[in-house]
Formats: sequence, structure tokens, C-alpha cells
Amino acid sequence: MNSIDNGTAGGVAPVSEKTTGNGFLRDVWIILKRWLLKSIRNPFRMLLSLLFPIIFLVLFTAVFGQITGSALSQALGMNVNYITYLIPAIIIQTALVSAASSGVGLVDDMENGMFETMLVAPVNRTAMFLGKALSEIMLLIVQIVIILVLGYVLLWVDTGGPPSTYIETGLAGALGIIAIGIVFAIWFTAFSNIVALVIRDAESTSLTVQLLVFPLLFVSSAFVPVSSLSKWVQVVATGNPITYGVDAVRAVMLGQDVLTVPNVMEFSGIWNTLIPALAVLVVLDIVFGGIAVYYLNNAAGSEVQ
Amino acid sequence: MTDAIVANGVELTYADGTEAVRDINLHVPVGESFGFLGPNGAGKTTTIKTLVSLLRPTRGQITVNGYDIKTDPQAVRESIGYMAQETSVDPDLTARENIKFACETYGVPKAERTERIHDLLDLVDLADVANKAPKEFSGGMKKRLNVATVLVHEPPIVFLDEPTTGLDPRARIRLWKYFQEINEQGTTIFLTTQYLEEADQLCDRLSVIQEGEIVATDSPDDLKSKVGGDVLEIALEDPTEDRRTRAQRITRESELFAEGTIETTDEGISVVSEHARRAGTDLLVALRDEGFTMTGFDVRSPTLDDVFLALTGEPAGNKETTGEEPMEPPTEAEVVQ
Repeated sequence: MNSIDNGTAGGVAPVSEKTTGNGFLRDVWIILKRWLLKSIRNPFRMLLSLLFPIIFLVLFTAVFGQITGSALSQALGMNVNYITYLIPAIIIQTALVSAASSGVGLVDDMENGMFETMLVAPVNRTAMFLGKALSEIMLLIVQIVIILVLGYVLLWVDTGGPPSTYIETGLAGALGIIAIGIVFAIWFTAFSNIVALVIRDAESTSLTVQLLVFPLLFVSSAFVPVSSLSKWVQVVATGNPITYGVDAVRAVMLGQDVLTVPNVMEFSGIWNTLIPALAVLVVLDIVFGGIAVYYLNNAAGSEVQ
Repeated sequence: MTDAIVANGVELTYADGTEAVRDINLHVPVGESFGFLGPNGAGKTTTIKTLVSLLRPTRGQITVNGYDIKTDPQAVRESIGYMAQETSVDPDLTARENIKFACETYGVPKAERTERIHDLLDLVDLADVANKAPKEFSGGMKKRLNVATVLVHEPPIVFLDEPTTGLDPRARIRLWKYFQEINEQGTTIFLTTQYLEEADQLCDRLSVIQEGEIVATDSPDDLKSKVGGDVLEIALEDPTEDRRTRAQRITRESELFAEGTIETTDEGISVVSEHARRAGTDLLVALRDEGFTMTGFDVRSPTLDDVFLALTGEPAGNKETTGEEPMEPPTEAEVVQ
């Protein structure tokens, strides 16, 4: 039952002299503040979502670091340290894991009644979801920075090389990596919210989404070059959004075109990777975001049942 | 006369075809405390959620504070406080932060906020735990915090959906005190409840709702008088049918109870009469003189069950337990929703 009007209508001030409603940006800000406060109260949650990516980073470099050298130089045509090669995958994994917890937060809010409380309050509907998403993006930025720093520490211990051997494109590249991480996180955040709204149970949502993370990561360009994978895995990897996220970050880190599955050549250098990869991700963001908004609008009307 | 809440011919049918409420008509004047009394599944929550703009009525018109809920839901939301049946507070934020967040969502000016938060913490007696999170609170404390968050913008109307269900008697009485206080200050209250006692304490008028329809609207006293007075229950030793019928006849012959309703029960007899309290002992003596031995004796005020019995001729069992309704389809539909 769609009894609730959409966000735009919700933001229009009523014809009443007793208006207490806030502006749209103010609504976004108060929602954002509440979610950040919740995260600060539970710092363990954020650290927990960094735990798996960090374990992967440390174990993979320790185990595969010595034997992947030739495969990498064959695939990329240059000598690349496995740490540098792996960091993009770990960043995308971090984005996946933290996006996965977004839906859990939504179900929690439904279970403790805050979701309904917000629906009855004169708060803009769009602001409700935008504020929450922004808080998640801010946490993701912190997490990506932590992973980038940790990666350089590992590289420095291994080779003692300067930062330029870590991120080829420098500081602008580091900012670009954060931006790609955000663009990548949006579709999976939307996906985890869709799962949450369908399942409506915090623990099942968490489990379902987390279970998807691992196969998706392995059947992609995350840990080894696609060209060295078996044929069927290559086919799956081509359709796997993670390949595009990882390759985009990797292109920025290595300063070269690494996307080979659709081998775009119209642009120059890393743009041959970035433009098609970001195009794929933006389309996914719009599609999944659209479905999530549809489900949320429905939930706004029928959640109360 | 201004009405705080007006509903005309409101119907709500869910997508699965369940008719939750039918032909609800309400006129609640400003300042009144009005109750909706009924068993689980009668449509109380559906009605209150429709009034606060969470559900859109299938048919009918509703205005709250003069705003139409269909065309001006935003104005309705700004001018009401709504407390859901399930306590709604953020477990991660402290009590103070919960109230502050509510202030922000309702646009309470910054200059007034500090004082408002202070006053509300005082009102609900949570000032000493203001900086603790509701995670550590008892059910009653959480509910009290919820009351405070609902009142931040000093709404002219407060909607309370079963505000004390599941609370212990002390917590319940405490909440009643707050509601009486805000009502005395002029706030219109609309509440739903399963307890006649609660309706009696808090409401100027109430509607009895059964299976989605209002069956009676009146003051609590008038509703109780429809039951015909207090209830006197007498348990007899060896309650054979014969003996129970004889006791019933003796009671009926007594002058004081001639007007009352006298029925046989499993253990003895039950008398509903306005004289039940005053003349109860006389009846016991009369029965003893006729050779009866009494094993139990109880006089009580009419309950929701008695009101229901008097109004509808059937007990106020919850839908799930009466067995008259086909049980499975609605239950499944609810789970799917």
C-alpha cells in the first residue's frame, strides 16, 4: 500500500503559520548526525568491517606475495609488487563489507521503531535516506584511508620504496581512489537495503549479503589478473561489477590501463579503464538505487501493517 | 465548536482484501481525552495509524487540527505527537540525545531546546539517567522516554497506541499521571487501549470497537452503566446444575436484584447489578439460610469483557482465540505483510 507521498511532496512547507518543518538540507544534516553518533557509539562495528579486508591483505601478501611476481609482470607488462596489486581489491572489499551493513542499520531502525517515528515526523523522506547514506560514505572514506595507509606501510616494510612506487598517480590519484570507492559502494549499499526490505530481519540480511561478498570477490580481477584465470571464470569475471571497481582503482594506482575484459582503446592511458568501468558502475548505481527507492517508498507505506 | 479530530465514513481495506476498519465516524473536540477500546485485532492500531497519516484510508475523510490527512499530511505531522504501540527510542543514543534528536526533527528552535529537554526529562522522571542509553533501561523507563520524545514540539494533539500495554501496574499509573497532566494543560488526547480501567482513568469519552466497527461511543460511566452495575460472583459447594438454578431463582426473588442480570456459571452464579456491592452480603445470608455453602465470593467493577458482553452479546475474546473467525488466512497474511 503506497499511502505515503514521495519525498518531494514531503518537503513542501504546508500552508500554515505554525510551520516547524526544517529545510531539506537541515533534515539531511540532523539525520546524518544521528547515524554518525550511532557509529561513534559503536566503534567496534566499523573496526569489525575492516577486520576481514585487513586479514585478507596481510595473509594474501604473506602467502602469494613471492610467487605472483611472474604472473603479474606477464599480465601487466611491468614489474608490480603484489601489495600494490592487491590494495585495490582490498579497498573494494572494504566498500562491499561496509555497504553490506547499510541494510542491517535500516532493519534495526524498523525493529526499534525509529523508522516509523521518522515517517510520522515532518522530515523529508528523501533526506531520511540521503542522510543515512552520507554517514555511511563518511565512514567508508575513513576506512579507505586506513587501508591505503596500511598498504603503504606493508610496501615500505617489503621494499622501502617511496610513495610514488605505491600510488603512481600521486595525491590526486589517492583522492580518485576514494571517489571510485564511493561510486562502487552505492550499488551494493542499495542492494543490501533491497535485501533488508525483502527479508526484514537484521541477522539474515547480514548473513545473506556477507555470503555474497566472497564468491563475488574471487570470481573477479581482485586477486589475480583475469587473463590467468580459467575460461569460465573469465566469462563470469567480465559480468562481475567487482572487476570494474577493482580495475578502476588499480588503473589509478598503477597509472596504466588494466581493464582487459572489454578492451576499450578510444581514450588514452588510464582513461581506457576509468571511463568504461565508471560507466558500468554508474549504471548499476542508478538501477539498484532506483529499485531500492521503490522498495523504500513501499516500505514507508506498508511497514506499519 | 472546533473539533481536533474529525473522521467521516472512514474505511481501510488492506491490499490482501482484509477490511481492517469500516465506517468509522469520529468527532473529538479540542481538549478532550478520547479513547478507542477494543480487543486485539479489532482495528484500533489501523485506525490510529490512519489518523496520524501513516496509512491512507480506502474511503472517507479525516481532518486533524483542521488539516486534511490526504492533501496536507505534512501539516498534520507537524501538529501531532504519535506514540506507537511498540516503544520507539534509539537504543544507541542517550535519553537526552533521543529527546534532542526529536526536537531537531520537529524544528524546535535552538533557544528553547535546552529548557524543553530539561522540562521533559523532569516530567518523565528521567533527569537522573539523562546521559544513559535506553539499552540499560527497563520497559517502563523506555516508554517514559518515548513519551518525552513525542511531546517535544508541544503538539495540540497526542495519539497514543496502547500506551501501557505490557507495563507493570506501577509504571502504568505513572504514565497515566503524565497523560492527565498534559490533558489538563489543554492537549487533546486520542488513545487506544484494551483495558477498561485505563479508559476509565484517562478518557472523557470512548468508542468501543469490535471487528473494525464502532459499536458504542459514550463516557466511561455511561458505558459501564450499560453493563448494569458491578459484578458479583458466587461459587457454591457442589455446584450441580440443579443447585445453581435454585440459587439463581433465590437471587432473582430478592427484591434488590430484581433489575439485575443473574446467570449461572461453572462454579455457581454471577450477578450484575448496581446494588452488587451494597446488597452482596444480604444475598449471601439469604443463600446460606436456604442451605447453600459458599466457597467463593467476589465483587468487582465491570471489565472490558462485561462491557463487550453487554454491548455485543458476545465475549471480547481476541480474534485469534475466539475460534469463530477462520484463523489461518488472516494470520498468514499478517506474516507476509
